[in-house]
Amino acid sequence: MLQIENLHAWYGAIEALKGIDISVHDGNICCIIGANGAGKTTLLKSVSGMVRHTGTIRWNKEDISKASPMAVNKHGIIHVPEGRLVFPGLTVYENLEVGTISWHGFIGRKPYDEDIRKVFDLFPRLEERRDQQAWSLSGGEQQMLAIGRGLMARPKLLMLDEPSMGLAPLVVEEVFKKIVEINKQGIPILLIEQNARLALEVSDYAYIMEQGRIKFEGVSKELESDERILQAYLGNFKEEA
Amino acid sequence: MALFFQQTLTGVSVGLVYATVAMGLMLLLRAAGVMNFAQGNLLAMGAYLSFLFMEKLQLSSGLLMVILALAVFVAVGCVFCSVCFLPFKHAKWPQAMMICTIGAGTVIQECCLLFITAETRSVRPILAGSLSVGGFVIPYQYFFIFGAMLFMMTGLFFLFEKMYCGRVMSAAAQNKYAADLLGIPTNLTTMVTFCIVVCMVGFSGWLLAPVYRVSASLSNFQARAFASVVIGGFGSLKGAIIGGILVGLIEAYSTYFTTTYKDVVVFGCLLLVLAFCPQGIIPSGTKKEKA
Ligand SMILES: Nc1ncnc2c1ncn2[C@@H]1O[C@H](COP(=O)(O)OP(=O)(O)O)[C@@H](O)[C@H]1O
Ligand SMILES: [Mg+2]
Repeated sequence: MLQIENLHAWYGAIEALKGIDISVHDGNICCIIGANGAGKTTLLKSVSGMVRHTGTIRWNKEDISKASPMAVNKHGIIHVPEGRLVFPGLTVYENLEVGTISWHGFIGRKPYDEDIRKVFDLFPRLEERRDQQAWSLSGGEQQMLAIGRGLMARPKLLMLDEPSMGLAPLVVEEVFKKIVEINKQGIPILLIEQNARLALEVSDYAYIMEQGRIKFEGVSKELESDERILQAYLGNFKEEA
Repeated sequence: MALFFQQTLTGVSVGLVYATVAMGLMLLLRAAGVMNFAQGNLLAMGAYLSFLFMEKLQLSSGLLMVILALAVFVAVGCVFCSVCFLPFKHAKWPQAMMICTIGAGTVIQECCLLFITAETRSVRPILAGSLSVGGFVIPYQYFFIFGAMLFMMTGLFFLFEKMYCGRVMSAAAQNKYAADLLGIPTNLTTMVTFCIVVCMVGFSGWLLAPVYRVSASLSNFQARAFASVVIGGFGSLKGAIIGGILVGLIEAYSTYFTTTYKDVVVFGCLLLVLAFCPQGIIPSGTKKEKA
């Protein structure tokens, strides 16, 4: 379980997060919805130790507020970044290989064939493109590769930053199906989305973020039918998405 | 005909040295995002080191020299990385790093002049003697250069294509942010890259010392390495190798006509390439190498 209390984060003098409290329970999909610039990415970056922040972040009771990106990875908290950011000059297979670094080590020799097998079973399209360089993949395939690379790290919590960004609706649906499938394997997921309708559909619990603060939170099913939220948020985001 | 073969062989061996220096430039450009203007000075440093070990200290064991040289190169690589890369990693002005390498180059050069020798010196070749078949005379040193450069390139290829840690290093070079998120120690991979490059370039300088003699002007090879990179096609390692060999050959063949103006020929060719195919002669799969 991931617990975040009173989280503030800064870029220089700009305060991007102004006191955030959220928690992600075991086995759940928790989503965070908000417009551009709300601070969603910053929240994930704080957990990953990539931005200056204060407050407490606890992972299974252990305080990881001050942990380095490497240490966070060692805990099994894996951040799949916004915009996929696969390694363009490496092949699909090599991208997946590199994903194992947190438990494999720089010069380790532990085998990872089984992990690769699992990712290929989940995303058969990646197996077809096994030796293709990542820059030549389509957006959807790159997103799958980014998620696959995250899975190679043997996540105990998977944080996905806007996996639907820039993808065609059909592809988005496919990606979301896979996300649910991953969750069914017992991996809790912290999902960041601008596509509110879809996010609420797949998640168990949702937070709505605005300008560095949590505006609403609740069980996704309830938020989905909440008139106020439908009016204030879903409409807006749909237009944007 | 014999002359032709001789020129070809010397051209290719010296070209392989340019290729190595050019590959070093590319590796640093990709891993640290900096065009290293101290590359020529590092090359000269290798030559100075060979003079120091072979002539000044008269070390007898080759193995000892190689180990000492490795130690020096790795130390220089670490310091170089700590001074030129780490402080400017988040700098708003990316040229800061480049300017810093120019400064570092000057420091390296002055240290060589101050602590090793201020005069132009010659050193014995590692392999003395020369091969002569018919009218065809080639010092063994060229074969040695040829072999050593091939060995280095194979090693590099093996590291980046076949080994896990090489793959992790390429990943870190391609996207630092994503690599950090995966828990790749990007500072470490960058530092290792600096060390590898300094070793490559340093040993190249060492091998060139008997051919070109030891002097600070060895740093002029930097310009040839730039030429190799541009002629080969900016951005790819393969291009750097082919460009390097081409520059070596052009230079060697130009001695048919002139020795004093061979630089003019080399850089004239560079201008021609820039004018007619500014992408370089190896059209690289740009997208893949760029990022
Ligand atoms: N690297 C940065 N430097 C300065 N400000 C930033 C940086 N990244 C994000 N911000 C600011 O922090 C706020 C939150 O950004 P972000 O977390 O990326 O939002 P979201 O992911 O919800 O779109 C925005 O106002 C943005 O301008
Ligand atoms: Mg974002």
